[in-house]
This record gives sequence, C-alpha cells and structure tokens, in this order.
Amino acid sequence: MAKGLVKKTFIAPLGKDNPVFVQILGICSTLAVTNKLENTVVMTLGVMFTTALSSFTISIFRKLIPARIRMMVETLIIATFVIIVDIVLKAYMPDIWKQLGPYVGLIITNCIIMGRAEAFALNNKPGLSLIDGLASGLGYAYVLLIIAFFRELLGTGTLWGVQILGSWWTNWSIMIMPPGAFFMLAIFIWVVKEVFIKEESK
Amino acid sequence: MKKESFFAKRIYPLLFMLGITVLCIAVTSGLYLFTQERVEANENLFLKKTVLEAAGVSYPDDFIEINRIFDEIVRETGDVFTVNKGQGGTAFVVPFTGPGLWGPISLMVGFAGELNALTGIGIISQNETPGLGARIEEPWYKQQFIGKWGPFTMVEEGTADEPDEIDSLTGATRTSRSVQAIMNRAVSEGPQIIKGE
Repeated sequence: MAKGLVKKTFIAPLGKDNPVFVQILGICSTLAVTNKLENTVVMTLGVMFTTALSSFTISIFRKLIPARIRMMVETLIIATFVIIVDIVLKAYMPDIWKQLGPYVGLIITNCIIMGRAEAFALNNKPGLSLIDGLASGLGYAYVLLIIAFFRELLGTGTLWGVQILGSWWTNWSIMIMPPGAFFMLAIFIWVVKEVFIKEESK
Repeated sequence: MKKESFFAKRIYPLLFMLGITVLCIAVTSGLYLFTQERVEANENLFLKKTVLEAAGVSYPDDFIEINRIFDEIVRETGDVFTVNKGQGGTAFVVPFTGPGLWGPISLMVGFAGELNALTGIGIISQNETPGLGARIEEPWYKQQFIGKWGPFTMVEEGTADEPDEIDSLTGATRTSRSVQAIMNRAVSEGPQIIKGE
C-alpha cells in the first residue's frame, strides 16, 4: 500500500471532501445532537466507531456480497455496529445513554456511513477502508464539535455543563433549539467555503 | 457479459443474506446477554436513586452504599415506597406519569408522612427538548417542590415564593404545564393511594 495513498485517504474527509460541509451529509444528526458538548462527543465517537468498523467489515466481504442485495447487507452490518454502541452505552454510561435517547439508534440512518460503504469500502481493501471510515468519522466529529461549542456557549452560557459566561450573559435560547442549529451550520459552511475553499480554488 | 447461473442469481444471495444475518444476530445477542445483568443493575440503581431523591434522603454516589441505604429504610408495597427517614419522620414515594411535550414524563413524588407537604420529586424518564424542557432535570427545579403543597399555580421562572407556587421554565411553557398537571394530580390522588383507598 502506497504511503501517499493512505495519507490522501485520511486527509480528504477532513478538508476538501468533508462529509458535512462539502458533501452536506449527516445533517440530521448534525442538527439534532449539537446543543450540548458532552452529548456531541459521545455521539461523534459512536459515529466514528461505526463508520470505521462497518467500512472495514463491508470491505472484507466486498467480493462475496452479491451486487443485487448489497444495500441490505450494508444496512445490516451498519445496524449491528450501532446496536453494539447502544448496548455498550446502556451498560457502561447509562446517564449519557438516557440523554442521547433515540439518537444512538439513528446513527444507522446517518448517510455518511452508508455513503462511505457504497463509495469506498466496496472498491477498496479493508485497511484502507478502515482509515477512510475513521477519517470520515473524524471529519464529521470536528465539525459537530465546533457547532456544539458555539451552541452550548451561546445558548446556555456553559461548556461541558460548567458555567463559563457570567450572570451578565442572557442565554440565547434559540441556539439550543432546532433553528439555532440551522443558523450555526449555515454560518459555519459559509465561513469555511468563503475563507478556506475559495482560497484553494484560486 | 456472461449470463448469471440460477445459483448465482437466486440462491447465493439468499444464502449469503441468511448467513450474514445469523452472524450479526449472534454478535448482538451475545453482547446483549453479556451486559444484561449490568443493564438491569443500572436500571435498578437508577430507580432506587430516584426514590431516595424524592423522599429527600441524601445518598453518596456509590453503588453498594445506595443499595445498602435503600434496603435499610425503604419498604415497597404495591406502588407505594415507604421511606423511614429516622428522625425526619416517614415519607411516601409514589410514581406518577403524564404526557409531556414529546413523550410521557414519569416522576417519583415524595409525600411527607402527614400528607401536607412534598419531600421532593425525582424524574424517572422524560423526552423533553434538551436545553429547554429537559431543564426539569436540573436540581433547582426539582428541589423547588420540597415543602410545598398544591394545587399549584405556575409563575414566571425565579419568582415562586408562596407554598403553592412553582417556577415555570422560560422557553418551555408546555413542559412546565405538563409537570404542573402531573403534580396537581399527584397532590389530589397521592394521599388516597398512600392510604390504600
């Protein structure tokens, strides 16, 4: 395996092929779980775990999976890993599991995971697919963490549940409600495209 | 392109799907069985913590200690938990559930022995909006019920000072009303349930 290829596979989802702000995938969970930093961290770890391992597993089976039913097989494998995340959280982090509620199960429908399986894992070796999945998960994670940082800070004046802004701060309740997520995501995509991606294309 | 054989076209996908399904189910159910005891213990512990909280008993954040305290002072008869608080008298804890904004809200409501004041509430489950309605989980909101008795009137956040007034949550009026409704039902039905009528 060429070293350059590994590096390229790893870097692309973090920057110019980022699943969230370039491909605009996984928006549902980006909007839903970014109002508290703590929940976002657990959610993104779950997604990273699932993308990496499902890509890896699908890649192992890629020559055996009949093309006709590949979507069903992919969903099944993804669902298995999501249920593993769900059970582990339920057993070892019950408080966070309670807070995340249905969102853990909804990782199954995160288009990033399915997208990577279809676009990458079916045509590449397991090792490379694992890296691709992990990097896609990372690319998703850091965008969500940035959004969650601002939403929690502006919406409740706290970070990780710790009060940061003093009593002079009036909480922007809109930031922790669903519309706040749309504003933050749009501003984020705008800033990234205006500042970083524009420079690259020049 | 050569024509696919009957086996490759019809039988193999079926067998493959069957095989991979069995594999996936084996992995998940294995993990489920492996963690089952722990999950049950977690749920059990959570219930005990909620009962103690509603009764106004403070407890350390320790698995064994909580179980010990619970077994020592709590007696369960039907739906009612009778908590013997020693010098603090007796408290009765009864579960009440009502509709919230997104899903049911289940509370443990603690009654002082004389049935004229509450000893607190604990939240078993809720699905309210994180950051808004879900703030009913915050200690100050739960603790405001201590020593009060309904029927309750809802007032603006941070202004409740009468024994029948409760703070609402700004930005979560529907959730606040839901809790108010459950609590009003609790103070009207609770005493009868406790007396076993």
